[in-house]
Amino acid sequence: MIDAPHSRLLRAVIGHAQAMPGKIALVEGTRRVTYSQLISNVEKVAGYLSLLGLKPGDTILLAAQKEVEFIYLYLAAHLLGIVNVVVDSASPADRIDYIISTVGPAAKFGTILKVNRPDFTPFSEVLPDLVTPSLAMREIHSTDVADVMFTTGTTGAPKGVCLSHDNIAGSACNTNGFIGTRADDVEALALPLSHSFGLGRMRCVLMAGATLVLVGSFANLKAFFQVLEAEHVTGFGMVPAVWQYIKRISGTRISKFASQIRYIEFGSAALPVADKRLLMDIFPHTRLCMHYGLTEASRAIFSEFHACADNLETIGQPASSLVQVRILDEDGQPVEDGTDGEICVHGNMVTRTYYLPSDNQGAFFGDWFRTGDWGHRSPQGDFYLTGRKKELINVGGEKVSPAAIEQAIMALGIKDCACVPIPDPKGVLGEVPKAFLVKSDPLMTIEEVKKQLIQVLPAHEVPVEWEWVDSIPRTSSGKIQRLKLKN
Amino acid sequence: MDEQVKQIIANVLNVDLNVITAELSSGDIPEWDSVGNLAIISTLEQELGIEFPLEDLFDLNSVRALIDEVNKIKND
Repeated sequence: MIDAPHSRLLRAVIGHAQAMPGKIALVEGTRRVTYSQLISNVEKVAGYLSLLGLKPGDTILLAAQKEVEFIYLYLAAHLLGIVNVVVDSASPADRIDYIISTVGPAAKFGTILKVNRPDFTPFSEVLPDLVTPSLAMREIHSTDVADVMFTTGTTGAPKGVCLSHDNIAGSACNTNGFIGTRADDVEALALPLSHSFGLGRMRCVLMAGATLVLVGSFANLKAFFQVLEAEHVTGFGMVPAVWQYIKRISGTRISKFASQIRYIEFGSAALPVADKRLLMDIFPHTRLCMHYGLTEASRAIFSEFHACADNLETIGQPASSLVQVRILDEDGQPVEDGTDGEICVHGNMVTRTYYLPSDNQGAFFGDWFRTGDWGHRSPQGDFYLTGRKKELINVGGEKVSPAAIEQAIMALGIKDCACVPIPDPKGVLGEVPKAFLVKSDPLMTIEEVKKQLIQVLPAHEVPVEWEWVDSIPRTSSGKIQRLKLKN
Repeated sequence: MDEQVKQIIANVLNVDLNVITAELSSGDIPEWDSVGNLAIISTLEQELGIEFPLEDLFDLNSVRALIDEVNKIKND
């Protein structure tokens, strides 16, 4: 059997294939893939990639889809030391083009929705060949970059986060250690695979030797609940907006599954304390785990609701003994417990660099990654989140750059505009964007602007509220004073 | 009424009307995600002047189910 000394994740999967070859690793509709078949398919796809002439250090673009072929490709690239750039297949064309021009991928796989991209090879055309991959052309190290994930940058351009084989395995081990995912678990994955949260869940499940059931999305809750029942699901991950959706659409029907669900992981946005209490009532014996983290420092801090029942405001404590969290002041010096400062993280899962070195400016204090979030630590060692320094809008867990929306609006001929987060009037998404516009054409209507914007921006980035103003408040240097607009 | 419901769904999801077949279910197309589903429900309620009973929302997971439910409410 193949070996992958550089990848702890692959070594774990290879180990499961040897120890329990018939164990189901992946379920996609009626397709079932055992650990033995998974490794064999990963090896064949690695052969296919080698045949294409790809070599260690090359980059490939993967448009994530809930298909087993995506996972074969993802792991085959790791096996060969090829760098995965995982993107959302629903991304707008300009985002995909920006990422392509930034990383210059040697090959592109998957399907980009809504646009015809003949430069992408659909997963269905990835033919596992019986070719032995030509391995060891170059020694691959565990500190080499395994994945580049593009996140929302504050200036509007996405930033590529480089994650090494050690980083992604470190995050999976920290997370499994805290949540307690084990080989007899069955996890339903309805989160998108193109984001750090969903991709991380996939790695956690495979690392633990458990079974991963790929589910399209949470939109059709009736179908999701049928999967919970049919596959005897014991755990899943969701963002707070999905919980609001589950409550709205299905009431407390989910309590039917309380006894079989061993764990739920929450993340990507804040969950109100009242919801944490409701979840504790519905799931009295489930580990209700919530992470705080970023793509750059995945799952840095964890809390479990039952364990902190008398202190549900906290975001918790570092995920494992291999993660350290400090509160630092603007000069990078530690502050006393109880004092607010920037949450900074050091640990086995923390990125060492962005793809473009220019993005590293201001991102680190030495070895400590600066999250851009403000908070403090209690004398008991619990962390609390109090604010955000980075100007991002958190729409149901999707981080949106106000600058990107403003650029798109101004490209439509609007003289000036500014976007700020407001609480979602529907109470589902947490925050949504609101736009303030300065009229340049007296005949222009908000309906018209909105209609055009829907064509160029993803739906969640289109402002929910709109207001005409005479001018946008700016500092003397021209920076938008968003606080003034928020009030 | 059937065509009006389909047209509203197509408008909300910003897709062609011919995509909205009776058999289409939530989650079948990326546009019909959880946010899209909530928008469909609230827009149908607003534009048709109806209110879906809360306990029915769980079962309204396809174009067919939405059409049947609207007809049921309108005929009551």
